[in-house]
Amino acid sequence: MKTHAKLPSTAKSSRWHGLHLEPIWWSLFSAGGVCFAVFVPAVVLVFAILAPLGFITLDYSQIVSWYADIWGLLFTGAVICLPAFHAAHRIRHGLHDLQIGGGLLSVVICYGAAALLSVAALYGWWQLSG
Amino acid sequence: MSYKPELTGSWWLKHRFFMLYMLREATVLPLVFLLCSLLAGIYSLASPEQFASWQAFMARPWVLALHGLALVAALYHAFTFFQLFPRVMPIRIGARLLPPALMVAVQWAAVLAVIVLFLWLFGNSQGAI
Amino acid sequence: MRNCSIAVQRYLPHEHAEPFWQHFTVPFDESTSILDALNYIKEELDPSLSFRWSCRMAICGSCGVMVNGIPKLGCKDFLRNYLPRNYLASESTAAVSAAEIRIQPLAHFTVERDLIVDMNEFLVHLEAVKPYLITDAGADETPLEKHAQTLAQTNKQTPAQLAKYKQFANCINCGLCYSACPQFGLNPEFVGPAAIALAQRYNLDSRDQGKAARMPVLNGHNGVWSCTFVGFCSDVCPKHVDPAAAVNQGKVESAKSMLIQMFTGRG
Repeated sequence: MKTHAKLPSTAKSSRWHGLHLEPIWWSLFSAGGVCFAVFVPAVVLVFAILAPLGFITLDYSQIVSWYADIWGLLFTGAVICLPAFHAAHRIRHGLHDLQIGGGLLSVVICYGAAALLSVAALYGWWQLSG
Repeated sequence: MSYKPELTGSWWLKHRFFMLYMLREATVLPLVFLLCSLLAGIYSLASPEQFASWQAFMARPWVLALHGLALVAALYHAFTFFQLFPRVMPIRIGARLLPPALMVAVQWAAVLAVIVLFLWLFGNSQGAI
Repeated sequence: MRNCSIAVQRYLPHEHAEPFWQHFTVPFDESTSILDALNYIKEELDPSLSFRWSCRMAICGSCGVMVNGIPKLGCKDFLRNYLPRNYLASESTAAVSAAEIRIQPLAHFTVERDLIVDMNEFLVHLEAVKPYLITDAGADETPLEKHAQTLAQTNKQTPAQLAKYKQFANCINCGLCYSACPQFGLNPEFVGPAAIALAQRYNLDSRDQGKAARMPVLNGHNGVWSCTFVGFCSDVCPKHVDPAAAVNQGKVESAKSMLIQMFTGRG
């Protein structure tokens, strides 16, 4: 026979008790990981390798018209903001692994930098589209 | 009386598995450089002259080398990440598990599809490819 | 029979303050396990050697040691795995000391003597996640009514319901995954792979209603969120439990649980 323990009362636990931001960081990390794996290879290949090497000629007006549209916002979110939080999460845990950080200061610096990069990219899109 | 060996900061150098783990974590370092380059690219769209100078920056050998590293890093990250996905979110149909190999294959197909899409969108503007 | 060199990390606190290496030569064949080698050393060479073992068939989970730096069950790992493939077949005895096998106590635990570690450091985490069926049915009933109800319904389960948690139920509490986990090594407060896998095993069980009691432990900073999916725990698991998958499925569950708590006030 299995032991049947009584459920502890959850009435006294408050709505905010024990909550923290880890699920948010992890969700951003996971979403960013998908984008890093699925979108970043194509972006590096086209804009950072084939175009600079001359295999592809980028057309300024075509890119501006694309980027100023909703596609630019999607690009910024999927290729810059989410991967930035993915990178921030790994760097923060990497600092903990190397025993040179990982605490509150690392959290503030890593995710703060990712947030700054994201805001800067979104502002750039907003200026062009506005 | 007892003793407990403490981990030092170099624990990950002791085993191949841990070195590959650290390599996976380090794939974000070239990614960070790429993100900064792309951010500069967004702001360079303000005028054709700035865009041209951004393109000149992107063509510098050391920048190209770092971006080449970023491509390798992205592919290695994809290789590890795609294997983790079916383990974190197993998809069951009734009592049967969707084969993990199929889920990995679908994700690689998505990578290829995005590359083809980008080449189609930006590659044929001058008929170079 | 061939001979093989084995080095064992000894710790005899009443004789030496520091651990030290002792070297042995052990005869072996195809079927000699690490545990067989340790038993040979204890019976024939040095009776003072201490180590835990019981079943010799990878189910009691007590003979975990580090072999060449990797956590292994002594009974499930063989000397032949560490020597050149042609060594057993060759007639030459020259290669006796070609490769010395290093045996150490499980990493990340406090060592009490020789290969004996303090497993309590794992068991406190296991206990914290309440790894047993919890039901709230019949709390207000008489013992007889409760017993009748239990008999009537507790153990009914379909194959599909069983399939959801079966893999995680294979854990034998050997602790190898804790020795493989650098996050447990860096932070002993981390609840760790096996305990979280077993929490997930009971959370996924259709007969269980104890999820709300387990989630606060998993939700904490030392719960699922200390894991960085190194994945070595799943690599060394002798029963193929895949604790890394369980912990990361636990992250999805923990995120849901915290979201629900935020809106409803209960996890």
